[in-house]
Amino acid sequence: MTGSLIIQQPGHSVVTDLGRFRGPRFGLPVNGALDQFSARAANILTANEENAPLLEVTALDFRMRATTDILIAVTGAPLTLTVGGRECPQWEPVSVRAGETVALRQITGGLRAYVAVHGSVEAPILLGSCAPDTVIGFGLRLSQGTELKTSRSVGPIRQPYFDLPLFRLGLSRPEFSSHAVIDVTDGPDVDEFGDTAELLFNTEYTVSARSNHIGLRLGGALPERQSTAEVLSRGVPVGAIEVPSREELLVLHRGRGVTAGYPVLAVVTSRSLDVLAQARPGHTITFRKTTVPEATAKYRAALRDLENLRSTVGTVFSLLGIGNQPGWPKLAPAAGS
Amino acid sequence: MAPTPTPTPVEIFESGDAALRVVASSPDSEANWSTVHSLAGWLEAAGADGVHGAVPTYDSLLVEFDPGVTSARQVRAFVLLGLRQLDFIGAPARTPREFSVPVVYGGEYGPDLERVAEHEQLSVEEIIELHTAKSYVIRCLGAPAGSPMMDGPDFPLPVPRLKDPRLSVPAGAVAVAGRQAVIAPAVAPGGWCVIGQTPLTVLDATSEPLVPYVPGDILRFRQIQPEEFASYAGRKMEAAR
Repeated sequence: MTGSLIIQQPGHSVVTDLGRFRGPRFGLPVNGALDQFSARAANILTANEENAPLLEVTALDFRMRATTDILIAVTGAPLTLTVGGRECPQWEPVSVRAGETVALRQITGGLRAYVAVHGSVEAPILLGSCAPDTVIGFGLRLSQGTELKTSRSVGPIRQPYFDLPLFRLGLSRPEFSSHAVIDVTDGPDVDEFGDTAELLFNTEYTVSARSNHIGLRLGGALPERQSTAEVLSRGVPVGAIEVPSREELLVLHRGRGVTAGYPVLAVVTSRSLDVLAQARPGHTITFRKTTVPEATAKYRAALRDLENLRSTVGTVFSLLGIGNQPGWPKLAPAAGS
Repeated sequence: MAPTPTPTPVEIFESGDAALRVVASSPDSEANWSTVHSLAGWLEAAGADGVHGAVPTYDSLLVEFDPGVTSARQVRAFVLLGLRQLDFIGAPARTPREFSVPVVYGGEYGPDLERVAEHEQLSVEEIIELHTAKSYVIRCLGAPAGSPMMDGPDFPLPVPRLKDPRLSVPAGAVAVAGRQAVIAPAVAPGGWCVIGQTPLTVLDATSEPLVPYVPGDILRFRQIQPEEFASYAGRKMEAAR
């Protein structure tokens, strides 16, 4: 049964997914959920495709009302989640009854929360992704009264005994702290910074309030480029650390312009980009050097945790008779049918 | 893109756990450009699992991939395979398309035209003449949003960037900086000198491809008068042939 979510208090929220991976070749940033692990987890906890559209709520309080019974999961930064006034756990599936209000309040410790809805929500698509692109003005930014269509309804599931938490699915959640250690690998232009490159690893940096989805600006001792030769524009990866001015270090995130002419000192690992997505202005950061093979291994370990979660969710949901098994609707009809 | 007669030397750099930078390092910038763009085309056509795509510019190519599916090591081997195959079969021949872009120069459409003329020690008319005289090769798609990056008009001096970049430059702005020229497909902040504006719609976010040109295509500017600007409203930039 289709229904809708009606946004009552948007705060700063958008509908997004894992990103526009075909964008960079056309000069569009990949964008998408800045904390990819939390976004994937939210979709898995609601038995969605990992890349299904979901809500990204940044920093400010958020409220919405459901018109049908639905199943949601809220991940990302720690916050107070209430459904119809009851306090509910994050990182677990949560039932919402028709007419109830879902409220996310006091996002603390981190910056971004993710709300996935079983069956997902409808959003416009560009190059295979609904991720908003602020440069070309594409995407669904939520405002008061926005109505999001949902495609599946799930009857209420309540633990019959004392309202104990219904699920304990056992995903190890990321840690949130006001000080983050960020793994980086040497950038392709590290040599251009000579000995000053070491400053990156001996300095505590502070996240500036001017940080956003395009990049984080960090204050602290700055490595300095030793040459002044003009650099031709070239593609820069998400996670690139540059020193464009004498004031701040710039760490590019998923909204970054695809090409630039600054040398790349270091590159933040895919796992640590999720951690940076949760860094608030005023939080402090130190960098730790790693290698590409180690970074790849850590990334794959996180994916395995998510895969385990998917299989647990699949088992529990099929016992409860919720939705379809993930993957079933995509099966092609049998030959001759 | 003509076939490269001898293989262009290439260096491959790690760029984090999800990207590689490939740099063509011959002394011939045309050969470098041709190599990275041919390689981008090859990678796209080959469509390896886990490779998201490639961003070619002048002498370099950023290859992005999903480290959950493939790895820097595998993608490096794949890039080397592509280079060997291009050496063997040559770059695919493609006939460039040509675009003719109407521009209103100066005034509110090109607030920096006089500044550029002054810097170059030329008259405004001479600047317009030089800007419209050249056939530009679109070298790559840049930020923001698929901007056509071109080697600039034959001005005597490189054009300095604005000291205070504008917070908002309109879509269609025709700008120059250094020895480069560009059209802004979308509204964005910008530090380049805006000398004119085209009334054509460059970027159409509702269609694929988003912009009508690809690297290698040819672009020419022609001057129109301010009173003609409105008559082009809503027209999309299209290839003449």
